[in-house]
Amino acid sequence: MYKFIIAAFLALTPLVAQEVKEDMAVPYISYEIKMGENFDTVQGQCLMCHSFGYIINQGPQSKAFWSGKVKKMKHAFGMDISDKDAVLVTEYLFKHYGNGKLK
Amino acid sequence: MQRRDFFKKSLVVAGTAAIGSSLEAASQPKTGQKISEVAFPQKRPMITYSDRPPLLESTRDVFASAITPNDQFFVRWHMPEIPTHIDLKEYRLKVNGEVEHDLSFTLDELKNDFEPVEVTAVLQCGGNGRSAFSPIAGGIQWGNGAVGNAKWKGARLRDILEKAGIKKGAHWIGFNGLDNAAYYKTPNFVREMHIEELDDHVIVAYEMNGEELPYLNGYPVRLIIPGYYSDSWVKMLSNLTLTTDYQKLFFMDVAYRVPDNETESEDPHSHKKIKTKPITTMNVKSMIGYPSNDTKVYFNSHVTVRGVAFDQGKGIKEVLVSIDKGKTWEKAILDDGKHGRYSFREFRYTFKPGAYGKQTIMSKAINKAGEEQPLAEEILWNHGGYKYNGIDTVTIEVV
Repeated sequence: MYKFIIAAFLALTPLVAQEVKEDMAVPYISYEIKMGENFDTVQGQCLMCHSFGYIINQGPQSKAFWSGKVKKMKHAFGMDISDKDAVLVTEYLFKHYGNGKLK
Repeated sequence: MQRRDFFKKSLVVAGTAAIGSSLEAASQPKTGQKISEVAFPQKRPMITYSDRPPLLESTRDVFASAITPNDQFFVRWHMPEIPTHIDLKEYRLKVNGEVEHDLSFTLDELKNDFEPVEVTAVLQCGGNGRSAFSPIAGGIQWGNGAVGNAKWKGARLRDILEKAGIKKGAHWIGFNGLDNAAYYKTPNFVREMHIEELDDHVIVAYEMNGEELPYLNGYPVRLIIPGYYSDSWVKMLSNLTLTTDYQKLFFMDVAYRVPDNETESEDPHSHKKIKTKPITTMNVKSMIGYPSNDTKVYFNSHVTVRGVAFDQGKGIKEVLVSIDKGKTWEKAILDDGKHGRYSFREFRYTFKPGAYGKQTIMSKAINKAGEEQPLAEEILWNHGGYKYNGIDTVTIEVV
């Protein structure tokens, strides 16, 4: 299932001068995302790997585009999602970030 | 004044009419995007499309100078899990596969055991300027700022591989970095290069503009492949693997590809699968760093336009500027080219605006092979929105 990243954050002084010696914090940015039907599924699935920014900055796209993206996430990137939920996610994306065209 | 003829353009248009009847034109990439209020580590606040993975774009003003500062250099990762700490005691660059000896190097060994070499080279995302395409091409809608130029210092990749001993049958080099996916099943962002593409300019860099690489740009070492789009410049490089055969890889076989035809374009309304090829080397391009679309200048004042030009390393021959919407073009002054053929070349052009209101400024680079930047409207569509290189245009206001 999910990969646990084993972080070996050893608090040893490096032998060479290093500009960043401690754990870096990558900030969270909150991207405005549209609420609607199936949002919980979208949140649970898409946020596993990427921010909402990654979705909204694709620009408005066709249903075929969003369906293709969801399939890519499932088949190429290993998203753990049922076929039924994949359809729900696609519908949400097309409804809120679609261009009105099926293809 | 130099007048350019447009025979070339008409030929291109005539040639493509046969491919599809409804090809749409590109326009200028989007501009004036909001800068994030929050800065990422070792960076100034930048245009931020995503925090996970981090996708940060530089603003136009950065391209008034040949060298892009580390803290304003664009960032593009593919995987959500990027190391936020590297312990140099643990870090190793491993070399394995079709080599005589499996070896691993510490950062110190990379610095001390190999001849250090420097190359100033442009790093550009293949999708830079994607937002210019219509219909909207798939992928992050980058403006013009997914590109930068830095002086890289490191060890030659060839020297590292030769130390391990390249076996006769080794034809491919695979590169892997330390970033990780959230799922085990996600393919790693592994890239491959044919061993024949390896020249002495390909380095494993541990320095960027005289400093350590920022984490978000690949600390402690990244691959530098001058002239090529950045998709193969693997960050936080951890593994070099030589193989006899090409390994099937998602990020090589599916992503970062353009149609395999002469114009590298396709009909956006046809949904047929077509043959594709990797984006590989960069095309000729210039960008105006100053002024920008919100600049106001006084009537009859001296305005100095500044920008940069580059290509895949054939060398920039000239940059032309037009202040009359492309009717006439004049040569800009180019810098001395001291940073070498893979670097940004700075250009500047001074004029006095002679009319109130909107004033358009266009820049066009031409390389030593005679390749020139097309007008945005001449650029044909591809599904990934790759390789945009339209003549850069800004519109200022004369008051």
